[in-house]
Amino acid sequence: MKLSQDEVRHLAGLARLKLDEDQADKMTDEVGSIIEYVESIQKIDVTNIEPFSMSAKSQGFRPDQAFDCDDLTRELILENFPGRAGDLLAAPGVFTNPKS
Amino acid sequence: MPLNELTITQAIKELESGNLTSRALTEACLTQIQSLDGALHAFLEVYADEALTQADRSDARREEGNVLGPLDGIPMALKDNIMVQNKRCTAGSKMLATYNAAYDATVTKKLTDAGAVILGKTNLDEFAMGSSTEHSAFGPTKNPRNPECVPGGSSGGSTVAVAANMCLGALGSDTGGSIRQPAAFCGITGLKPTYGRVSRSGLIAMASSFDQIGPLAKSAEDAALILSVIQGRDNADQTTANVEPFVADWKDNVKGLKIGLPRQVWAVKGIEPEVREATEKSLKLLESMGAELVEIDLPYVDEALAVYYVLMPCEVSANLSRFDGIRFGARKQNLPLFETYAESRAENLGSEVKRRILIGTFSLSSGYIDAYYVHAKKVQTLIRQGYNEAFKSVDLIATPTAPTTAFKLGAKLNDPLSMYLEDIFTVSVNVAGLPAISIPCDTNGGMPVGLQFMAPWFEEAKLLSTAKTLQNHLSEP
Repeated sequence: MKLSQDEVRHLAGLARLKLDEDQADKMTDEVGSIIEYVESIQKIDVTNIEPFSMSAKSQGFRPDQAFDCDDLTRELILENFPGRAGDLLAAPGVFTNPKS
Repeated sequence: MPLNELTITQAIKELESGNLTSRALTEACLTQIQSLDGALHAFLEVYADEALTQADRSDARREEGNVLGPLDGIPMALKDNIMVQNKRCTAGSKMLATYNAAYDATVTKKLTDAGAVILGKTNLDEFAMGSSTEHSAFGPTKNPRNPECVPGGSSGGSTVAVAANMCLGALGSDTGGSIRQPAAFCGITGLKPTYGRVSRSGLIAMASSFDQIGPLAKSAEDAALILSVIQGRDNADQTTANVEPFVADWKDNVKGLKIGLPRQVWAVKGIEPEVREATEKSLKLLESMGAELVEIDLPYVDEALAVYYVLMPCEVSANLSRFDGIRFGARKQNLPLFETYAESRAENLGSEVKRRILIGTFSLSSGYIDAYYVHAKKVQTLIRQGYNEAFKSVDLIATPTAPTTAFKLGAKLNDPLSMYLEDIFTVSVNVAGLPAISIPCDTNGGMPVGLQFMAPWFEEAKLLSTAKTLQNHLSEP
């Protein structure tokens, strides 16, 4: 299927990506042609076929447990965060403006 | 022979016999980087002083008889999506231009525990998305055979570092061909291990169910040595498999080995004549050495690429949602929350990454998820079954690694679909989770051509032994 520019803008909103006019045009063409290309799989009959899931040889879910790290690791994690107040991580408020 | 041109296997012999020091080897690599990397741009960062310190420590250990492991003193490079604690790890993205890795990747730790000298970090397509290394936010890497051509990608930097003798071996990552295709384009050996063989902890995720770290090397023997060090079950990666460890098993011949040639692959019209000629010649050589070539059916060759371009972007869109300006990278300030996300991402992610995020968001969105994502997961089951069936009658499957040789810089940059078609022979291996290797064939002085072998799950030993036997014969005059 071809995508409309409005559909691409809607996807960009879902993906939290700002697209300017030129980019929206370009992405509409490119994303649309790739989606048309991948539609070739829809002609494959998958009746009674289960979706693939991870190999039984892997380890399943790990326990949900916090663990300590050394001071250097801790400092590096804090240092990499784009906003910081002392040992706290600073993020913008979440109750302003979610755009519809 | 200049020291930096040694294979790892040769260098170890010299180190063991006392004819060579790690310092001399490391200095030779650093000198090569200094003279060539301005033109080729394989490296994003070089740790010259630290590498020499590590080399001296290795020499001291050897002197005392306390060699750490099989790679002690060997200078190696890492793709810059693999973390080294307290070192920049950019994944080729503006988003992580200043990111300082908080911990070592499991493979980094395994290499350093085995004594390897880490020379630095190499260039890649942004977040490993691309087949030419042109999608790096820090500029492209050039093919050492012809700097007007791309080295392939996404592990272009690691591949060029090995091909141009700037290091003895390197690690890359392969999600759809990112180790094998650049190895083919630059004329070296690249191994993508079975999914679950090598820990992904500390690898910046692209598509988690396909990503696998593996060696780029000058020979199959070197690739085996690196794999033997980096493999293994890891508590930090739940998808590492509980299987017998890989142990090299070198056979001195290929007599009776059955090699499957999938009709559907060899019938693809886009295979360039020089690729067909070089790969067929190598296969004939194997036949003359006693291997049996068998035509086989391998269904869904074309569709595997389409399945990959549904599933991979879905995982990309989920994995890259963390790069939102809140948790990593540069944050656009003083904006409401939605705009903080949308503008930080718009400014710091490149166009190929955005394209894949949008494709994935579409394939996962309400109303489309069943026809795209779920349908592709079912076809993935069929593709795995197809391989399972094929490996009942053959030991290995052989195909060209890529349909073309290295193309000119810029040639495919504005045509994403033609860039994606470069992966047509490599992606199905990732979709099925299989191991595969690309080794160089005879090129008659032209651009290098890669021959790909695929093996059943966890049978890397068979893959490597065949590759080594063929390499030994190809190098004979």
